[in-house]
Amino acid sequence: MPISAGTPAASELRPCVTMRVTVCFHSWFKDMAGCSRAEETLPPGSTVDTLVARVLVRFPKLADAQRSMLVAVGLEYRGRDCALSDGDEVSIFPPVQGG
Amino acid sequence: MKRHLTITMEPIDEASLLAGRSVSSAAGAVVCFLGMVRGTESGKAITALEYEAFERMVEHQIGLLFDVMGKRWPVESVRLVHRVGLVPVGQPSLWVEVVAPHRAEAFAACQWLIDELKRVAPIWKKPMGAGGR
Repeated sequence: MPISAGTPAASELRPCVTMRVTVCFHSWFKDMAGCSRAEETLPPGSTVDTLVARVLVRFPKLADAQRSMLVAVGLEYRGRDCALSDGDEVSIFPPVQGG
Repeated sequence: MKRHLTITMEPIDEASLLAGRSVSSAAGAVVCFLGMVRGTESGKAITALEYEAFERMVEHQIGLLFDVMGKRWPVESVRLVHRVGLVPVGQPSLWVEVVAPHRAEAFAACQWLIDELKRVAPIWKKPMGAGGR
């Protein structure tokens, strides 16, 4: 079928690509969030900062703890500017106290 | 460098750990550290600490520390045991052993490892009992 004037180009018809990440809460952050895991759907190019902002809206009790919040992507500590990928597991937790 | 890490819910069995010690003829120093649960936390009496760990990450992060330690000091072996779950006052939560040719590097490596563990290993403790939650 010929494309008529006003019909979106093929690239515009592609579904909006999003990525899903799993957020894991540890220690008392788990109590504040009321769960140990949550799924978030983010736009492409999202960073840890994007995710944390989304998490704080969804779990506002964590807002007071955000300055001391530590973030790991997979098993590595990451900063707020770290770019996320689809399928990432992001752990959010308070300062550690081992020993 | 031989390395061994255990995260366990069970009490730390010092006698068994000492029985499993292996020291070559090149080693002249064994430094062993035992971290005990104190009866007070932030000035308040407690009966126990409840430890929680993100175990996969603890294993990974301590593995990285072992890597660095092996490069910085001529350590022959390191063994580290961290207990999780409820640990009563007076019982150990941490046991570390470092074997090296000389005492200076054994002490330094052990001190560094414990300091770094406290900084990066995702383990948390909750005071329980009289002054706890």
